[in-house]
Amino acid sequence: MRHACKKISQLASDSLDRPLSLLERLKFKLHLSMCSHCRDFDHNIKLIHKVTAMMHTTDYGQTRLSEKQRQQLHNNLNAIK
Amino acid sequence: MKKVDDGPHSWLHEHGDYLYRFAMSRLHNEDLAADMLQETLLAGWKGFDKFAGQSSIRTWLVGILKHKIIDHIRREIRGRNLSEAVENDPTSAYFNSNGSWSDAPAAWKENPEDLFSNEQFYKTLESCINKLPEKQQIVFRMRDITGEDTETTCKTCDVTSTHLHVLLHRARLALRTCLNIHWFERGNRS
Repeated sequence: MRHACKKISQLASDSLDRPLSLLERLKFKLHLSMCSHCRDFDHNIKLIHKVTAMMHTTDYGQTRLSEKQRQQLHNNLNAIK
Repeated sequence: MKKVDDGPHSWLHEHGDYLYRFAMSRLHNEDLAADMLQETLLAGWKGFDKFAGQSSIRTWLVGILKHKIIDHIRREIRGRNLSEAVENDPTSAYFNSNGSWSDAPAAWKENPEDLFSNEQFYKTLESCINKLPEKQQIVFRMRDITGEDTETTCKTCDVTSTHLHVLLHRARLALRTCLNIHWFERGNRS
């Protein structure tokens, strides 16, 4: 049973990016029901996935062009136009 | 309707911060984001006769900016030859030759909200992401942080979806191990 852990970890990762096929889902669920290591792995990467998704929404919420950048852009636009 | 005062200067005034934020969230680099913004305003001005007025100016400019960013990342990947062969498999390190875990994952009890608001954890996570090989880092950031869809990520990075899944698997394995060593095992959660 343990021989499949590497492949199961790929499925755990894939499940974050694409829908698994019916067969893949069965294989995945069956393995997880018997293997606590893979259950932990699946839980760990889902946790990381949730945290990284939050990084995006808040990271640049307050970001603005600085006055210097803005002035520079105006100057460049004048020079090129 | 095109207005007389439409043009790169007024776009910069009205949409500059918005476009800059969009670029920053994808490029994480201030100078680069400002460059992309400038290119977008100029391209918009050049192609202004093609703007049909069916969408807002902002939506139209965002569309141009998206393409500029994708082009930039593609050039980066090509120019620095950031290829990563599928055959050369770094995931072997995490498994025994029979495919079982060589260093078994353990349960993490924390919840995502607490981790996210913990500044120390945030720093640890950032530094673990920065340690990933460059191409893994690019695809991981695009998919898991920016939330770009698979198609755009593949197109930008010139990879098939199968290769993308291989790269993401590697990135997540490495990241999980890095966080386990530098955070969860240490018990330095606060």
